[in-house]
Amino acid sequence: MIYKWKRLGENSLFLMPSIILTITLGIYPLVWMLRYMFYDYAGYGEALFIGLDNFSRLIRDALFWESVRNTFVFAGGKLLLTLPLSLLLAVILNGRLRGSNLLRGIYFMPTVISTAVISVVFYNIFNSYNGMVNTVLMKLHLVSQPVDWLGPKHAMLTVIIVAVWGAVGNYMLLFLAGLQSIPQDLYESASIDGANAGRRFWNITLPMLAPVAQMVIMLAIIASLKGYESIMVITEGGPIGKTEVMYLYLYKLLFPVSTGSPVTQQLGYGSAVGFASAVIVGAVTGLYFFFSRKMNKVY
Amino acid sequence: MNEHVISKQPAGLKQGVPRQSGHAGRIAVRTVMWLFLLITALLTLFPLLMTLTGSLKTGAEMMTGGSLFPARLQFANYAEAWKQANFARYTWNSAFMSLMVTAGTLLVASMAAYVVDRRNFPGKRIYVTVQASMMFISVGAIVLRPQFDLMVALHLNTTLWGVILILVSAHSSTFFMLQGFFKAIPRELDEAAMVDGSGFIRTFFRIILPLLTPGLGVAGLFAFRHAWNEYILPLVFTMTNPKLQTLTVGLANLRYGSSAAMQIHLMMAGACLSILPMLLAYILANKTFIQVTAGSVKG
Repeated sequence: MIYKWKRLGENSLFLMPSIILTITLGIYPLVWMLRYMFYDYAGYGEALFIGLDNFSRLIRDALFWESVRNTFVFAGGKLLLTLPLSLLLAVILNGRLRGSNLLRGIYFMPTVISTAVISVVFYNIFNSYNGMVNTVLMKLHLVSQPVDWLGPKHAMLTVIIVAVWGAVGNYMLLFLAGLQSIPQDLYESASIDGANAGRRFWNITLPMLAPVAQMVIMLAIIASLKGYESIMVITEGGPIGKTEVMYLYLYKLLFPVSTGSPVTQQLGYGSAVGFASAVIVGAVTGLYFFFSRKMNKVY
Repeated sequence: MNEHVISKQPAGLKQGVPRQSGHAGRIAVRTVMWLFLLITALLTLFPLLMTLTGSLKTGAEMMTGGSLFPARLQFANYAEAWKQANFARYTWNSAFMSLMVTAGTLLVASMAAYVVDRRNFPGKRIYVTVQASMMFISVGAIVLRPQFDLMVALHLNTTLWGVILILVSAHSSTFFMLQGFFKAIPRELDEAAMVDGSGFIRTFFRIILPLLTPGLGVAGLFAFRHAWNEYILPLVFTMTNPKLQTLTVGLANLRYGSSAAMQIHLMMAGACLSILPMLLAYILANKTFIQVTAGSVKG
């Protein structure tokens, strides 16, 4: 009996730090948010219970819906460029190619670099007056005038390019891992049966990769809907809200930002926006899971 | 595009398979493929190259944005960034924060993973489920505010300890990674140690943990990278405490400095200073990075 208690004591001692941290900094903040979304609370002074008022405000909040729209444009653009590009690189590098390891190392490099720091660099090289991107494009005679990469017209494209730069290597590696788990004898027997490379790709590679691809695409969707760090550094959501995404809008509601911003700090309403944002990400993920469920079955 | 990839099977297998494209066609495909790979690699390296060359230019050269390479290498930029733009302090803050987060995460996660792997206790399944969901819920901006307010209440907001605790609290992925490593250490070892009279805590710290060194190294590398690159959390915590800024925050804030336009060369030198340690670690441990990341989708 004493032995049993001693074991229990040892177990709790070892688990305690983890449990305390998870409850106080993981679970409690979620409960906090779920509570304050029913309150009018600016962050100071008294919190006033207002029921569902925050949500009716949310429905009429044009800035929020604009940010939702931008989030989908951003995530859609990022995924449409990142996923095919990373799959293509993975398929090529999966073959026995000279220098394949070096190339993998190069493509994966952006993943180890701080998003914020590299965004500062991108902010400077996309600068319209003296940025290197314009200099190079003009020297190659691809454009005759400097492009205003950070202006209202192209800012979204710019932040998408930066996001793609940072993500391709990561998904390439995940696809590569999936490709390497496909048994080689499948290709060998298909070759003997006379299937050409294109057929082998469509009939072996793609279906065998499907379960891995389903997971990878889901991770990519979630990450791109929630990503705002690089946008925050490059454009701060501007110009004129053209790159304001959902989570950046949420951040601005929860913390004071520069005085020029049309968004002012509002913790109660911010909690409601946070909840709505999480529901939107969850709904998109759920829908994706429903429509991709066939990918999970190989044969 | 994929043709030659899959045709790169063991040579013997190709025999008897009718080839569709001739010799000239294959060379053309190979050329296109290599062009694609090289252009992608160049685009990946471009911002890094710009950071490096920019860090060695004069301020005037950066302003006009004329040539790709500096006329004369300005190594003095680094000394100036280190002293004048306060990078010595930022680097110290980043190093302190990242080392503490790494040590804390490894300690908390390894203790919990050991107990979960070796023992049974009431609530074990609940604990593992909660940790698993913490990994997927990672709610980003939504929980920032309550976490911050909690740290203010505990008076931990005027040091970097608040940030450190929050980052350590997100230890679930390290927990699962280390649990995998514990499985590889035979249980007989701890049992033998206990029979010899070594207590539970002593067995863990003196016998099991040293055996886990390779696993701790890998997990530590990832925890360190995460902390070193973190931007939003230190940003929030140092808004009223510029002395505590980390490299990521200090560098991004340089953009708002009154004379920021004149200091692009210093920003680039600072960016180099903050990217280099991570890049160096990556080049040294390239294999580990790539294998662990690739393995993460299989499970």
